[in-house]
Amino acid sequence: MQVYLPIAAMSVDVLLLVGVGFGVGWLSGLFGVGGGFLLTPVLMLLGIPSTVAVASGANQTLGASVSGLMAQARRGNVDWQMGGVLVAGGLVGSVVGVQIFALLRRAGQVDAAVAIFYVVVLGSVGTLMVMESVRAIFRRRNARAHRLHNHTWAHGLPFKVRFRKSRLYISVIPPLGVGFLIGVLSAVMGVGGGFMLVPAMIYILGMPTAVVIGTSLFQVVCVTASVTFLQAIQVGGVDIVLTLLLLLGGVAGAQFGAAMGGKLRGEETRALLGLLVLSVAGSLLWDLWRVPATLFSVGPAW
Amino acid sequence: MTEAAAEQARRDRVFLVVVDDSPERAVALRYAALRAAKSGGRVALLRVVEPVEQAEWAGIGAMMAQERLEEAESLLAGLAAQVKEITGGLPVLITREGKVADELLELLAEDPRISILVLATAADSKGPGPLVAALTGRLAAKMTIPMTVVPGTMSEAELDRVT
Repeated sequence: MQVYLPIAAMSVDVLLLVGVGFGVGWLSGLFGVGGGFLLTPVLMLLGIPSTVAVASGANQTLGASVSGLMAQARRGNVDWQMGGVLVAGGLVGSVVGVQIFALLRRAGQVDAAVAIFYVVVLGSVGTLMVMESVRAIFRRRNARAHRLHNHTWAHGLPFKVRFRKSRLYISVIPPLGVGFLIGVLSAVMGVGGGFMLVPAMIYILGMPTAVVIGTSLFQVVCVTASVTFLQAIQVGGVDIVLTLLLLLGGVAGAQFGAAMGGKLRGEETRALLGLLVLSVAGSLLWDLWRVPATLFSVGPAW
Repeated sequence: MTEAAAEQARRDRVFLVVVDDSPERAVALRYAALRAAKSGGRVALLRVVEPVEQAEWAGIGAMMAQERLEEAESLLAGLAAQVKEITGGLPVLITREGKVADELLELLAEDPRISILVLATAADSKGPGPLVAALTGRLAAKMTIPMTVVPGTMSEAELDRVT
């Protein structure tokens, strides 16, 4: 059953889209990830323009993160103060990211640029994930994760603020910078960025792990909301028909995946997630590499 | 039973207190410590930490689990000092990972020394609290030892009087 997507300006099978939403929702529930970094490339591989794919990915991540944030906030695991600083950086980053995105689109290079971004980021993240879990499978629990040295050059920076919940007394510059970079990433790739934000919060900012997940979700919710909004206004990339169809499958899939995720855990699952990330990066790379079916395409001049 | 054996049994009994984050845990803890001090026995403290959710990175998951255990241990160490002030002896400290009610029942099945579970009800009027409600309702048939439910509104003087 074909349906016409008004913004993406193409026809796609309804069941395929609901199925993609379900699959991505299921995986994000299962692995406890946002899902934007899976949805955006899958939509691009289906032939949906990357402007629409990125906006949809940000929107999907927003939906998946709100309920998680609410659960974490109820348990008091959110450092709102640190979150506020991260969000401030993230909002500026998302504005800058959307400008970069609009600039790339005007130059006609947005599809290739987003795909290259994805190949690089997903390729390195996937490789690290697989390496980490393979090491863990062979050496069960021998390796303890260690924090980096506790005192760095970052402690010499000005504008120090006391973050009570995180038990930190640090300059606001590193969290602003981290928030900004994740905001740019979020706007260009349509991801929440949790898989980079969480390690950055622990290793660069030195936050206690108890508040990291909740606080990162706070940043993800605010920044993906901003990205979706800005993309809709400035680039016009939010397709309501596409979003509704994906949401329909996504909500059901996330429930299903979260129920299964409780039973499935450990290094093997994480290796699977890493392989999945790598295969998405690989198919995007192949898509860039192969000779396109139509060598020339005609579009409106910007 | 001879007088000596009865005395021995009294000294060996263990009052188990579940350490959660509610305000009424102080009442349960004080009641158990006073009972142990005045009529013989020891106190055991159980802290159940939540298992780590799926995280993107294995190293971060392991770090979270470790930090949660360390936090639980330091909390128990602080409470152990309070118990020692009243009873003169250090309590048994137990940390576990999982759901509170499940881990509690499993511990009771594994450790026959524990003889009484001490719980306190919530001081507000919304009900007795999730653990009391579960153990007297849904899981009542699975309990293997007696349970003392202390009203969470009792003051220190009142606790002194009844123990």
